[in-house]
Amino acid sequence: MLSSLLPRIRRLTARSLLAVALAPIGAVLAAQTTPHGTERHIHGIVEDDATGRPLANATITVQAAPRSRQTTPLMFSTRSDDKGRFDFRDLPAEVVRLRVRVLGFTPHEERVDLIDADRLITVHLTVATTVLQEVAVRADTLAERLGRVAATSTLDAAALSATRGQTLGETIKNLPGVAVIQFGPSIAKPVIRGLNSQRVLVMNAGLRQEDQQWGTEHAPNIDSFEASSVTVVRGAATVLYGADALGGVVRVDHAPVPDSGGTHGDIALNTFSNSRQGALSMSAQGADLVLPGLGTTGYRVRVTSRVAGNGGAPDYYLSNTGFRELNGSVALGVTRSWGTADVLLSRFGTELGVLKQAHVGNADDLQRAMTTPPTDSSFTYGIDRPSQQVSHTTLRTRFTFAAPKASELELVYGLQYNHRREFDNHGPLRFRNEAAFNLKLFSNSLDLRWTHARWRGLKGTIGTSGLAQGNQTLGKAFLIPGYDLWQGAVYAQEDLALGRLSLNAGLRGDAISQTTIAFADQGIRSAAGTRTWRDFSGSFGAAYLLADGLDIALRVARAWRPPTVNERYAQGVHHGTAQYELGNAALNAERSQGVEATLRYTRPSFNLEAATYRNTIAGFMYLQPGEPVQTIRGAFPGFRYSQTDARLRGVELSGNWSPHMRVQLRLNGSAVRGLDRVNGGPLFDMPADRVSLTTRVQGRRPSVGAWFVGAGTQMVRQQDGVPEGTVYTLPTAGYALMQLEAGSTGARVLGQRLDVSLSVNNALDTRFRDYLSRYRLFVNDAGRDVVFRVTMPF
Amino acid sequence: MIERMSRGMSRGVVLAGASALVLAVSACGDSATAPGGESEVISRVTLTLTPSAGGAALSSFIDDSDGNGPTAPGAQVGALALARGVTYTGTVKFENRLVTPAEDITAEVQKEANEHRVFYTVTNAGVTITTTDVDGQNRPLGVRFSKVVTPTASGLGTVRVLLCHYGNVAKVGTATSCTGDTDISLTFNFTIAP
Repeated sequence: MLSSLLPRIRRLTARSLLAVALAPIGAVLAAQTTPHGTERHIHGIVEDDATGRPLANATITVQAAPRSRQTTPLMFSTRSDDKGRFDFRDLPAEVVRLRVRVLGFTPHEERVDLIDADRLITVHLTVATTVLQEVAVRADTLAERLGRVAATSTLDAAALSATRGQTLGETIKNLPGVAVIQFGPSIAKPVIRGLNSQRVLVMNAGLRQEDQQWGTEHAPNIDSFEASSVTVVRGAATVLYGADALGGVVRVDHAPVPDSGGTHGDIALNTFSNSRQGALSMSAQGADLVLPGLGTTGYRVRVTSRVAGNGGAPDYYLSNTGFRELNGSVALGVTRSWGTADVLLSRFGTELGVLKQAHVGNADDLQRAMTTPPTDSSFTYGIDRPSQQVSHTTLRTRFTFAAPKASELELVYGLQYNHRREFDNHGPLRFRNEAAFNLKLFSNSLDLRWTHARWRGLKGTIGTSGLAQGNQTLGKAFLIPGYDLWQGAVYAQEDLALGRLSLNAGLRGDAISQTTIAFADQGIRSAAGTRTWRDFSGSFGAAYLLADGLDIALRVARAWRPPTVNERYAQGVHHGTAQYELGNAALNAERSQGVEATLRYTRPSFNLEAATYRNTIAGFMYLQPGEPVQTIRGAFPGFRYSQTDARLRGVELSGNWSPHMRVQLRLNGSAVRGLDRVNGGPLFDMPADRVSLTTRVQGRRPSVGAWFVGAGTQMVRQQDGVPEGTVYTLPTAGYALMQLEAGSTGARVLGQRLDVSLSVNNALDTRFRDYLSRYRLFVNDAGRDVVFRVTMPF
Repeated sequence: MIERMSRGMSRGVVLAGASALVLAVSACGDSATAPGGESEVISRVTLTLTPSAGGAALSSFIDDSDGNGPTAPGAQVGALALARGVTYTGTVKFENRLVTPAEDITAEVQKEANEHRVFYTVTNAGVTITTTDVDGQNRPLGVRFSKVVTPTASGLGTVRVLLCHYGNVAKVGTATSCTGDTDISLTFNFTIAP
């Protein structure tokens, strides 16, 4: 007993010593070990701590302790792959010494007990400053960072665990350059560099998420517990991801299906006081499943449920803003000498309420709802009309074929079925249970990608991608017509490392064909028609290492996207704004030209990243206020989809400073200005300027693990750039919110590892209305929220 | 060799399975546009005024060719020429004439009286409208009303007919204006004959 306890304590001590040398850049090493019969495996991921990016080509050696003084120690060595992964199987020992070396980082060494080891070991390392001066040595590291020529932020597992249980939008909203359009606690839509919805692509588990993303009140249908990391690419990233990633990409990555080890998993429980929300997620995974015909198979299953009642503003509850979510997924995968194959089946299902005040009959009703103080609704978990019921089913099959010299061929087939139903109180009672809007969207996608080996300093990816999509419109009311969409693309992106200089270039050609189906019912008419668009997008970037720890990156990108079906054919009242929105079938594609510069300064206890960009969009599609629309229900402010020339400019700043080894200060800020170059006015839906500052005091103790206590503030300036003619001209004042947090990862309670945290959002119960909150015409945003999170790996 | 063969086969099988799925899905993903259920479309509102003391009824209607669609309602058909000092018994009729046969939505409104109320707003000081029917909880409904034209009234006037639907909020009997969703808002012109 004592002997099995001793190595653990010793290791923890070693880790706490390492934590003393804590630095903004380091490597996160996640090692996972499992006893499996007499064979012992160890595998993990090497990551850059500051960015969360996996570090490829790290040298990992495992030294098995000699069984007796006479025998020499056994050595095993490998290199981490492109995803930073490494793997040792069938080690003939119970205790090994693990060494990890990555160019540019301090080597890491630790003793790992394979019998009774932590499943996830996180170690912070100091950056090796002296190594950085050697350009030749640095080249690969720089090439690695060149993926970040486009400004990128990643939330790794540790950062995600601090926001678990919330919507995807809430999870990323504090990253630089990111904001959310919010409909209460249940709907949060990411905004990147001032652009949202169909201009922001969400990639989930390697597939473009196709979930009627054009609607601002259509939140990404993704279970945030599935994410092992979330990466936000700011600025046009169309080459690898597809036309329409004009504003940026939110990439939700799932952990790979395990290829070794026995059954393990985790249970996560979150509670939120504000909406009395509970979230429970359970997963189990392993690689000890033996299936007939397949052999040893890795697997993962996850079930998540989230239930919330009405959200609470400081003085009242927000009527009908609860939600119920039930998600599940099953993944199976095999890893063989030729590569990997895996299948993922997941289903996301939610039912959510929409604020009652936000559902209005006509413009007079809206005016009344806006001027009437919110009625003091009581708390309930019940969901009443108006409401949404959405389910999203994904089937993904993926093969990777390993070729020599780390080149890889990847084939991904994705099938997505999105079923969205929206209910309201209109219509005769006997049809009240029929959805007003009932949309079924089927998407098939096939992607083939070849990541080739480095050839004369050149490394990159060449790929082709196809999408076949069909939409059915089945509801009582008309929103968008049914349509078929075909899309095909070829692309290539290459990196070239030339000493201090690294270059990155990408080119992509897309052809998109959209066929709408005629609709005619009770006066509403929508025409049939087919249109096809072809165009290319491209980007060119360069990163240059100016001095030790200081590099600058410049990037130009051209992107385009065709009009979506709602922009071409929308016809009806947008509830919540009483806007009568009319599509324009004649819209042409919009084209953006962007230029951005990023400066990064990295020191052991200090790093700073500043980015600035300018994005001009010709033919920018937007809703233009026009003549009021008269209907039998009364008058509505009329809005027609039109095109203008737009320009977006902005700056983003993020920094990290450790004045003392136990203290960490973080700063994030962004500002964006959108200009309609035709009328000289501001663009709609631009996030207000924001700065967030957080302080953390942290440390590590064997009994409580890696603990932290922190406080932060988010300050948002008044949005004074509001376009004329929308109901959203109602000004919103600036505000400041305070957050508090405390917690620990790796605490041990009765021999069980626990990650625990307690945080308080809007700690001072401040009354505020964010400019991007779509309920701001009616009610205040959410008040104080005490969040308790516990995760228990097993 | 054997291993390579079986690998090739399994790959082929999975690919075939995937393409079968593509076919199956594209078949069921037939992108039909077929409206389901029934929406509460109202395309015609008719006001009928019958002199209480007897006489010919006045009737006037407004059509909207696309109901909730973006085309504006048409012009008022039939004049409401009121006489001084006369009290009229009035009714309002809501119809959907975009379907065949035409639907009488008034019946729906009366059946769901607890969720509805018709408000009348008159611009002529000499004319008053009072609702005469009630819902199941004795709150005014407004499908029937009485219209009183004082002996001194004169000139022109308008009456706005507003059908209020209480879906999300409670109906309050004493309310003087709609606090729910507006289902109909149309204005009729009338004249007062000397």
